[in-house]
Amino acid sequence: MRERTTEWLRQFRDDIRQSADPALLGVLRVFGLLYGKIDRDVPIDQSLRKSWNRRLPANVNWKHAFGGIAYFLFMILVVTGVLLTFYYRPSVDEAYPSIQFIVSEAPFGWLLRDMHVWAASLIVVALLAHMARILFAGAYKPPRETSWFVGIALFAVVIIFGVTGYLLPWDQWAYWATAEFTSGVERIPLIGGMIAMFMRGDRLVSSATLSRFFALHVIVLPWLAFGLISLHFVIIRSHGIAGSEHAPEGEGTLFYPNHLMRLIVVSVFLIAVVGTLAALFPRPVGDPATPFYPPDDLVSTWVLVDVTIALLRFVGPVGVFVALLLVAALALLPLFDRKPETDLRKRPVVAILGIILFGGFILAWAIGHQVTVPIGSDTIPQELLEERALPPEPAPDLGGETGAIQSGGEATEEVVE
Amino acid sequence: MTSARPLTVLIAAALVAIAQPARGQGTRPVLTTRADGTAYGCLVCHADKRRAFVQGVHSEWGIRCHDCHGGDPVALEVGPAHAGEFVGAPDKLQTVEICSSCHADPDQMRQYGLPADQFAELKTSRHGQLLEAGNRDAPTCSDCHDPHTTLPSSDARSATFPTNIPRTCGRCHSDTEMMEPYGLVIDQLEEFRQSAHGRAIFEDGNFAAPSCIGCHGSHAALPPDVGEIVNVCGRCHIDVRRALASGPHGGTTESGNVLLGCTACHTNHGTESIDSESIAETCARCHEEDDAAVRLGEQIEEGVVRAEREMESAREAISELGITGRRTSDARFRYRHALTEFRQIAEVQHGFDVEQLTDLELKISSITKGIEAAAEVAVEERWEHRLLLIPLWFFALSIAALAYFRLRKA
Repeated sequence: MRERTTEWLRQFRDDIRQSADPALLGVLRVFGLLYGKIDRDVPIDQSLRKSWNRRLPANVNWKHAFGGIAYFLFMILVVTGVLLTFYYRPSVDEAYPSIQFIVSEAPFGWLLRDMHVWAASLIVVALLAHMARILFAGAYKPPRETSWFVGIALFAVVIIFGVTGYLLPWDQWAYWATAEFTSGVERIPLIGGMIAMFMRGDRLVSSATLSRFFALHVIVLPWLAFGLISLHFVIIRSHGIAGSEHAPEGEGTLFYPNHLMRLIVVSVFLIAVVGTLAALFPRPVGDPATPFYPPDDLVSTWVLVDVTIALLRFVGPVGVFVALLLVAALALLPLFDRKPETDLRKRPVVAILGIILFGGFILAWAIGHQVTVPIGSDTIPQELLEERALPPEPAPDLGGETGAIQSGGEATEEVVE
Repeated sequence: MTSARPLTVLIAAALVAIAQPARGQGTRPVLTTRADGTAYGCLVCHADKRRAFVQGVHSEWGIRCHDCHGGDPVALEVGPAHAGEFVGAPDKLQTVEICSSCHADPDQMRQYGLPADQFAELKTSRHGQLLEAGNRDAPTCSDCHDPHTTLPSSDARSATFPTNIPRTCGRCHSDTEMMEPYGLVIDQLEEFRQSAHGRAIFEDGNFAAPSCIGCHGSHAALPPDVGEIVNVCGRCHIDVRRALASGPHGGTTESGNVLLGCTACHTNHGTESIDSESIAETCARCHEEDDAAVRLGEQIEEGVVRAEREMESAREAISELGITGRRTSDARFRYRHALTEFRQIAEVQHGFDVEQLTDLELKISSITKGIEAAAEVAVEERWEHRLLLIPLWFFALSIAALAYFRLRKA
């Protein structure tokens, strides 16, 4: 019996060897499990061994890991996102209950949801770290400017992913953060109103907004992201890793086992870190969204929400415009900085631009995270308050007053639902 | 005079032509002409009153200047127009007479569904008594109801609209100079604004809550007598009145004096709410510190505070359930049940029935414990999620160890 099984397995392996096109190994390359060109003139197993025995340039080190980390986080987002869509229902009536079901009843739904939330924040950090390395190492310079532009586009796609995904829980925090963001967009001169209207599909954040955000989040953006990622990888492969042209030939680390083992370790640790964050710091579920009043407090659960709130609240429209100009300058940098010089000390403008942008990002993140007051809570005119001359009513708890006993008579009307 | 007449007629005609109805007046009656088509003379001189008058309900029902002021509305000159029983600016008593000539007549008021007892009521009120005595401070009809833009109380512009009543009364009752001779305090309006009733009206728009007239009456305005206070408050706080009547504060003192009623603890205009932790302290305002009544107050206070804490814990538990993504409809439903019991405590404590209070407290506790248990399960489940970290990190570290050994081997 054992011999027969062994024989069958050998036969199966030989069949695969003879029939499989080595080009199929491209699938492994998409997941970063192979490096370099695939030899299609030999059987698939030899081609695999040949690829694994390639050496990475000697200059590749841990600093190069951020791109891969971002990519792996993207994979986590895809997998958890697909599983979440099994349960999530994108309508104003069902979105919130479906989130409740996911986090409290669906098997491991809480883990999927919170891993998705944390990966969405970590991918932004990883991408920024990746961008910072490219910027300071001068890896965006010709001939790699297209790779830089594609990378910037990918970053934009990740931001839009976050913006569209942020609304989907349809709780008060999601609703009012989106309302504040779209109001900020509305303030852009001339075209702001049009863009905000396109985003919301309505004059205020509503079911139309939820529908289009969901469609963008799960249909349009994934295709766009996969296309851009493929393009990014193809360009990297065609030009090689920056700096490798100066690396000595035949030196560097072997792809297998050195690089592949490290890749697996980093990936597993990344899952562990995201899972740990999900278990220790789950995203709380806010009250169901309502356009009639803002939440008592603002709980931000995405890094870029903090940054956006800090910009909108503290810097104002002019500051946001300047920040956008700096981002545009960063995006278009390869068009102006075309000298082969990569020593940062000889590129002071780039160094300053990078420090302002990445330092400003961290600063805005830190400041924005302190903001807990939602927009709209300060919009009641002071004159109206004075005219009423009444003490401020404590914030309604559980959707209504649940006040103390009025010893003088019946308790005030209390609303619990 | 004769030569001036054609000119006067011309001016009158021009004014009549100019005085078109305001835009948006729709089918409202026009004051420029009379029913028989002749010109309405009052407007020749008093066109400024027209704008105010056409907005009022009197205009809508066809009441005209001469119906109150007398005179000849057809006449286009001052002399003939003001002839006869003309009253230009009626004094306070004349105003009452003019208004009551219709408003005290049931036959005339029936068609409008209005009561005809205001005049009779006014005569019983302090305002009316002062008026009859010739007091010039006392308000007459037109002090509360605009004489020309006479609006129904349901109109938000009316001075007698629920939210406007406190301000209307306060025009005189907040006037230090005017109230001084009568020895009346002037802080009622401010106290009322801060009170539960004031907040209900001004903040919640709850017009079922009483304004000044809810307790004092309107045309028959008088402060309730000491013995009447419980009945006045009890018109709305029915169960509290019943509970109070069944307790020691429900009757009279041993010496036969009537107790102060609700205002003894809660004040009048401010409707002071007694904090649950100040119940015994409130008892001690009248009773001696070592009196059994204060001990009873302490018992009640402890029970109420415990019940409040139970309710607070239940609310926190519901919040916790919400944050952890649990459905809260069942917990909220049970909370509502607890709330029904909790509200009864407000009534029961007025009857000083400790036994009943304890029963209610136990009921509340049993309900809220159920809610808290559900929240505890949610929190425990959340904690259990952390146990997943053990296999997760075991797996991660195992992979790392395997990779390390593989790399060492290489």
